[in-house]
Amino acid sequence: MTTVTSSLADVARRHLDDVYRYVLYLTRDPHAAEDLAAETFERAVRLWHRFDPERGSERTWLCQIARTVALDHLRAEERRRRREERYASLADQTEELSERSLSPWLQAALGALSAADREVIVLRVILDLDPTSAGRVLGVTPTACTTRLGRALEKLERNARNARVA
Amino acid sequence: MSPETLIDERFDELVSALRAETPGTPQDLRERVAGITATPLPARRFTTRRILTFAAPAIAGLSLAVAVAVGLNSAIDPGGSGGAGNSGSSSAAEPRARELAPQVGERAPIGTVATDSSAQKRAVAPIPTDGRAQDYNASLVLLVDGTEDLSATTQRALRTTRRLGGYLVSVNYTTPEPVEGTAAVRVRIPVSRVQAAIVQFSGLGRILAQDTRISDLQLPLDELTRQIRRLERRAAAAKGAERERLLAQIASLRRQRLEINRRAAFATVSLDLTTHEPKEPAATPGRLDRALGDAVGILAAELIIAAYVLIVASPLLVLLAAAFFGNRALRRHADQQLLERA
Repeated sequence: MTTVTSSLADVARRHLDDVYRYVLYLTRDPHAAEDLAAETFERAVRLWHRFDPERGSERTWLCQIARTVALDHLRAEERRRRREERYASLADQTEELSERSLSPWLQAALGALSAADREVIVLRVILDLDPTSAGRVLGVTPTACTTRLGRALEKLERNARNARVA
Repeated sequence: MSPETLIDERFDELVSALRAETPGTPQDLRERVAGITATPLPARRFTTRRILTFAAPAIAGLSLAVAVAVGLNSAIDPGGSGGAGNSGSSSAAEPRARELAPQVGERAPIGTVATDSSAQKRAVAPIPTDGRAQDYNASLVLLVDGTEDLSATTQRALRTTRRLGGYLVSVNYTTPEPVEGTAAVRVRIPVSRVQAAIVQFSGLGRILAQDTRISDLQLPLDELTRQIRRLERRAAAAKGAERERLLAQIASLRRQRLEINRRAAFATVSLDLTTHEPKEPAATPGRLDRALGDAVGILAAELIIAAYVLIVASPLLVLLAAAFFGNRALRRHADQQLLERA
């Protein structure tokens, strides 16, 4: 019991940055990202007995959990936004991703991308996952993952060029 | 590194910027996660995958164990209820026992090959009872090597008959093919020497079958003797035509008695010599073979049942699989749509 607990604690120490960056890029909301990262590890504690190293690395497994958590969050957010739009138009109160570390042009370029594009960029570029592991997280083949990355980077570059001009 | 792993060089500057400006994890999140992962983990539960991992070999092992147990049981107790080897073992053991110890009036099956080494020795014939008139009939079926040996063996059989004081009743010698032939020799041997005759005849070839039949003639003989004495007493007292009639009856009865005595004095021995080896019956399976056969049979039955269940359940399984994969595809599509919108 103690050994297993300590091993999960080690895993959390090693991969917390990756999980946090992943949910941060998906949501673009640092506060939500912190909650989602914490919730990811809460779920990991509950599901740790189901982790199978033969089916992927610990990082891939944590990213899969984080994705489920983030998708739940995004669904809830979408429902909330629809509800609020029905009554009043609320100002976007979310703290932007750039406030934490990104330069304005990169923040603008990323902000113009969809969460799906940001997701493949964070998995392949920021977390540096190989196409197989990234594809496992996304539920697609490595080739599809590579194709998605190419398209997302093209969009990001176009957005970045526009942001710099502006 | 495969080409897929690489990121297009056109985006090098962008990739470098993204990697350089990676946001760091806040310290309070680190402490929060450290607290979460420090909590005791729940006990390991049985997941479907784990259950299948253990259940599949366990079921296979259990099936094998049942098959082996049934196989061993039938091998140990072939006469018991059930077991595929029952009929073969009992039927095969019977003729062997008969062959080794021929009984009066019993007939060993024609064509049975004496595989036991003891059966290759000289045949043992029942001893005729001294002082009693008996009708003694014996037959032997012997295998000889070829037509040349058939001829020589027939000659030897006739010589043996003469040497023992017997005589030839009939001989039927046929060779329909150059390499195959049969000889049916029927001889009469003095009863006192019939045992020696059978032993010597059995040495002429390999015994394929033996049959000995003894029927008692003493009772009819004694009855004839009593009738003769009674008629003799009446004839002594009678006169004229009545006496002549009684004497004729007595003469007839005496002839009958003589005939019976003659039958009883000589045994009839039928010697069938053949060059044609009968087909060997299927070898009786040993205990191990029976156990193996039964175990394989049980395993086959288990596989048939499993296949039957699979065939019956397969439409349901296909529907379940289609529902599962369809639901997963829909969910993935919905997730992708959500991410595209976000």
